[in-house]
Amino acid sequence: MRRVPAAEARRRALASLQVTARSLNEKYSLNAPARTPDPEWRNAVGRKLNLSSALLSLSVLADSGLEHYRGSFQNRLMYLPLAVSAATVAASLFGIADARAKSHAVRDGLYVLAGLTGATGLGFHGYNVMKRPGGLSWLNLFYAAPVGAPMALLLAGVLGRGAERIRDDEACTILGYPAGKALGLVTSAGLAGTVAEAGLLHFRGAFQNPGMFLPVVVPPAAAGLLTTAQFRPGNIMRRAAKLGLRLTALLGFAGVGFHAYGISRNMGGWRNWSQNILNGPPLPAPPSFTGLALAGLAALSLIERGSHD
Amino acid sequence: MHEYPEGQPVDFAIIGTGAGGGTLACKLAEYGFSVVAFDAGPYWRPLEDFASDEMHQSKLYWTDPRIVDGDNPIQLGANNSGKSVGGSTVHFAMVSLRFRPEWFKSRSQLGYAVDWPLDWREMWNYYTEVEQVLNISGPLRYPWGPKRPRYPYRPHELNAAALVLAEGAEALGIDWTPTPLATLSAPHGLAHPCVYRGMCVIGCSTNAKQSVLLTWLPRALTAGAEIRDLAMVGSIEHDHAGLATGVHYLRDGRWRFQRARNVVVAGYAIETPRLLLNSASAKFPDGLANSSGLVGKNLMVQSNQAVWGVMDREIRSYKGPPSLAITEHWNYTDEGKDFHGGYSYMSQGPLPIVWGTTQASKRGLWGQALLDAMENYNHQVGLKIVGETLPRERNRVTLSDERDQYGLRIPRVTYSFCDNDKRLIAHSLKFMRQALEVVDAHDIWDEDDDTCHLNGTARMGDDPASSVVNADCRCWDIPNLWICDGSVFPTVGGVNPSLTIQAIACRTADRIRAMARRGELPSL
Repeated sequence: MRRVPAAEARRRALASLQVTARSLNEKYSLNAPARTPDPEWRNAVGRKLNLSSALLSLSVLADSGLEHYRGSFQNRLMYLPLAVSAATVAASLFGIADARAKSHAVRDGLYVLAGLTGATGLGFHGYNVMKRPGGLSWLNLFYAAPVGAPMALLLAGVLGRGAERIRDDEACTILGYPAGKALGLVTSAGLAGTVAEAGLLHFRGAFQNPGMFLPVVVPPAAAGLLTTAQFRPGNIMRRAAKLGLRLTALLGFAGVGFHAYGISRNMGGWRNWSQNILNGPPLPAPPSFTGLALAGLAALSLIERGSHD
Repeated sequence: MHEYPEGQPVDFAIIGTGAGGGTLACKLAEYGFSVVAFDAGPYWRPLEDFASDEMHQSKLYWTDPRIVDGDNPIQLGANNSGKSVGGSTVHFAMVSLRFRPEWFKSRSQLGYAVDWPLDWREMWNYYTEVEQVLNISGPLRYPWGPKRPRYPYRPHELNAAALVLAEGAEALGIDWTPTPLATLSAPHGLAHPCVYRGMCVIGCSTNAKQSVLLTWLPRALTAGAEIRDLAMVGSIEHDHAGLATGVHYLRDGRWRFQRARNVVVAGYAIETPRLLLNSASAKFPDGLANSSGLVGKNLMVQSNQAVWGVMDREIRSYKGPPSLAITEHWNYTDEGKDFHGGYSYMSQGPLPIVWGTTQASKRGLWGQALLDAMENYNHQVGLKIVGETLPRERNRVTLSDERDQYGLRIPRVTYSFCDNDKRLIAHSLKFMRQALEVVDAHDIWDEDDDTCHLNGTARMGDDPASSVVNADCRCWDIPNLWICDGSVFPTVGGVNPSLTIQAIACRTADRIRAMARRGELPSL
């Protein structure tokens, strides 16, 4: 190690102490002005969340359309997620376009409906797994109705509701909790569920392509960073979480490309598109990651704002 | 493909390119030996050569003339032979099962038949090697036997016929599982995953099937082996010292001779003893490797009886691989049996012509009755066993005096079930009937005289007096003559044999390499 003269070392130490003191003063000074998030800003966050809901419900619309068509709509209730997710997409687009900084009863109602439909879907898909010979087995988790899929609609509903609440609540809270943290937790949980789903189905495919590891590596890292960022404030952690979430958002789009390639690996490839799109891997599934990552980024900006207040 | 001149001896001339010969050709070539593997059949390119047509695809079977007799003459052809490079694995049902460990010592541990000279723990490792190479799609937890490593690929989705087996097994309180199959459930290399056309047993035309043709043989070619197709080997030549010197084979209309330092016979349970017997000489008047008198004897089929029924709901059992679900309960349970040995049973998906033939010949339907039964094709379900039969010397392959198109003496195949075999069959039919009754199948009937898989006829053992080859598949009589196929099985067990044949071939290759390194193979 290079030796530093004593005087020079003292000077450097003093300088770094001064920097630290200044930043502590900025952070905790009683004289700092209290900033309440203004309605426009809250509306902007709300729109981000609407966008995330839009992506999630669009993914559900396309995915359940494809998969339930493949299942010949054997049960009439299989039409329900198509109708509800289409309505949720519409509500979310309306939210994105809406410049008024307050909630809307129709949007709010549709998001509640989306949440309920998603929760009901979880029940139906769970029943579909359990009723088969073998019950809760790997085989049935692989090939029965995917347990995790309806969760995307549930999340679209929950995040959409969040968007409405933030528009209305000056204190920026959801159910009494700081909105940033609440949404951050919802997003992390949603990412965990989506990762479990992707992990299960990629395991079914024996991770035969190394790219199949990406959605079980990148989003969990992002979710972990997002959760950590809520409890350990600091620029570095927030930046890392932001990077992780952006990568996850990107991965959602890239996933469509990967899945398009996956379809080409079936017999006949894209020339036999009408069968192979149904055969999968599902083209519309990966954008769920993008939707959730955008919600995570919105949560992060709320946390960021909160830490400045 | 590398081609070897006939006049210079190769290290190994292998006769047959199926589960035994094809696997061995690959391993030996990769170990640096010069290898020429002969097959009487053509080298197919499935994507171009295979049609979705049961009649056309009979080109894959060995349908040369044979004479069959005994109390239960075996129907030869479709499900127990193959005349193609890759052997019968080109059209096998891909069922890839391990032996129950105790079967390797069935005399000392289970009290019947004979022991193998092999240890199951060693075989367990070779099974793993083969399962990896074939990219077996199998369950995550296998309900029976000692722990095995995870199958490389995940199990296939069950079709409705397999679900019927599962429901029946659960109702009767026994375990079942998705069958470990040698067909891809996800892409691998250039191959697409299985598209569930259901034409597996007439030759997979999509290359999802992991046959010897598509797994071991491309590797063998890369390693420098030559595959000589459409080459019918008629006899093995030996010198005055009694060592094999090469093989006489018919190709392009004339007999040729390939010199070799070692000869491996891998023609399966009929062609292997036929070739050894047809190679009789002044020095070996009873045929090669036959000092024990056991060449051709102890032929074992596997019983292949079925119970069929009709479900009210649509089944379409021909969708997907034919045997997607299996229970090995009666292979691993020794209580409640009035017979030695075991059987597994699997779900079925017969193709239309096979099904029509079964209805007419096995069930005796004709005319309107046959038409009515065929109307139920989409509702048909069936359970079929692969059952163990016991080795008996009276069941054998001998030579008749008639000659075939090659001018070679035709094999005579004599087979009769013994009382134990019949008790096993009766037990299985009764049990499978219950398994269909509990799921509300109706019009249930027994198909009681089918057989599959042929083994034995050149058994391995520890004693030259009671076996043809030793544990390394090396003939006791002629040290540079080897036999590597299902004919070396001392017993058959109640599972399909292809995985075990390939595992034995892998072991044999390892043993040959080890012995060659130690200088114990003077010919090399």
